[in-house]
Amino acid sequence: MTAVSQASARPLDQGENRRRPYGLLLVAAPVLLVAWLVIWPIVSAVGRTLFQRSDEGAIEFTLDTYLFFFSDRYSLDNLTVTLWTTGMCALLLFVICLPIALYLRFSAGRLPAYVQSLAIFPMFVPSIILSYAFIRVLGPNGMVDILLNAVGLPKIRTPYLTPWGPVIGLVWDNIPLTVLILLSGLGNVSNQAIEAARDVGARWGQVLWHIILPRIGNSILVALSFSVLGIFSSFTLPYVLGPAAPEMMGPFMQRTFRDVNDPQMAITQAVITFGFCIVFGLFYVRSVARNQGK
Amino acid sequence: MAATLPAPRGRIDFVGIGFAIALSVAIIFPLIVVGTWAFTEVWRYPNIVPQQFGLRFWNQTLSRADVWSALTLSLQLSTVVTLLSAAICLPAAYAFARMTFPGRNVLFFSFLAGHAFPKFGLLVAIAAIFLQLNLIGTFWGVVLIQLVGTLLFMIWIPVAAFQSVDRRMEEAARDVGASPLRVFWSITLPQAGPTIAAAVLLSFVGTFYETEGAWLIGAPGIRTMPVLMITFINNQMVIQYGAVLSVLLWVPSFIALMFARRVIGGGAFARGFGG
Repeated sequence: MTAVSQASARPLDQGENRRRPYGLLLVAAPVLLVAWLVIWPIVSAVGRTLFQRSDEGAIEFTLDTYLFFFSDRYSLDNLTVTLWTTGMCALLLFVICLPIALYLRFSAGRLPAYVQSLAIFPMFVPSIILSYAFIRVLGPNGMVDILLNAVGLPKIRTPYLTPWGPVIGLVWDNIPLTVLILLSGLGNVSNQAIEAARDVGARWGQVLWHIILPRIGNSILVALSFSVLGIFSSFTLPYVLGPAAPEMMGPFMQRTFRDVNDPQMAITQAVITFGFCIVFGLFYVRSVARNQGK
Repeated sequence: MAATLPAPRGRIDFVGIGFAIALSVAIIFPLIVVGTWAFTEVWRYPNIVPQQFGLRFWNQTLSRADVWSALTLSLQLSTVVTLLSAAICLPAAYAFARMTFPGRNVLFFSFLAGHAFPKFGLLVAIAAIFLQLNLIGTFWGVVLIQLVGTLLFMIWIPVAAFQSVDRRMEEAARDVGASPLRVFWSITLPQAGPTIAAAVLLSFVGTFYETEGAWLIGAPGIRTMPVLMITFINNQMVIQYGAVLSVLLWVPSFIALMFARRVIGGGAFARGFGG
């Protein structure tokens, strides 16, 4: 920086205002919004469910709503189906997306470009349109039934309104991010390492197991955390495509809050979903922070 | 991917063809079915193609008052949320990219907090706060909840844009006597502008399709387009209504797809998600 610009010091110039926190003023609005509408609701939800006003009016520590949740058959069924759906989606996403990402990483040309744009495409299809398409294709008398009937095969047992409905929808919805995250991880695997292994006679299976997987372990965990966070409390797809009972935590919380009109219990359910996802959330934040730091 | 060599000549890429076919069937085919339904007047099971094509249901859908009020409301919401978000986030992004101040890193990463929790659980916790503030079922309640959803995008993408501006060009302009505002207008903005525009567009489209906050906070007074879609699907009304709305709704998404390619293509996007 020259003497001229030093002389004409202006607020936007970083060099001079290092000690003056104008920056704090500029970032204040969004930061306060996060504090008010993210941090505070979470703190308040935990507080309100653990410390409740007793009959005498005193505020005391209690686990009542949690004890109710974990002793209520219906709540537990909902939790179980949520865990099952999340696990099944994570498994299917891994099985579907890893081969796609591997293929995209190790090939070039028009066909891979086409495959990549297809894999990213669901990102631009809102889940509500996806739900509608799902019903028209896999629902009763949907397109699949029509085609099967045309070739003389029996109808499918439709996954619509069964636990498989949300699984299929959520996997479809989460393919793009999973592929992108895995692909970005595969960028760290050098061609030389693979060629060296191939030169000494390693088969593709061994290369995958010993060279590739250890290097993209972090990306796999990030993709896993991301999809678990998204799927565990997803609302639209389970609400439209899933069975009425047992229902996933998303629709369950919504119904408890709006239809049953029991905010206290709904917050308890929310805190329980936080509890189940905390590990994934922390891991996600840690790896994003580490990535940005690079 | 640029580092890989092209496949040896004469080898057919069977794996690629397999993926291309499987993904086309799983991803494009359902959307074609929806598109077909939108232009169908009569399609009875088990015919493979509709008996009668036509635009009758476009007229019927578009003459429904609830469709128009939902569309207007959704556009209003998206516009207000995007403008507010740009107004508070872009200056913040500039500050994060260019200034030093106490707590800069902690505050920068604080925007991740909203994404480190399961979203609907967080929405329920916010709804409990809004319940005490009488914001449930109001326009501004939905604005606030959707605004929170845009923060991460609208700060992190522009921060990256501002950081990638060539500082030497700015300094050179300052050296020949340009004012900071002039530098910002003529050097910084043209370089960072396209990416910022893509972020703004993403936040507009994302808000337009935001369903969960609108459903939980807005009901019953605020009925946005996606919320209306859910009721159409649940009530099993005329099949074509849903199809026509899907096609209509998909237009903004398509525009976003075209514009966002540059943001997503850069790989910065996946990194933003921690990949």
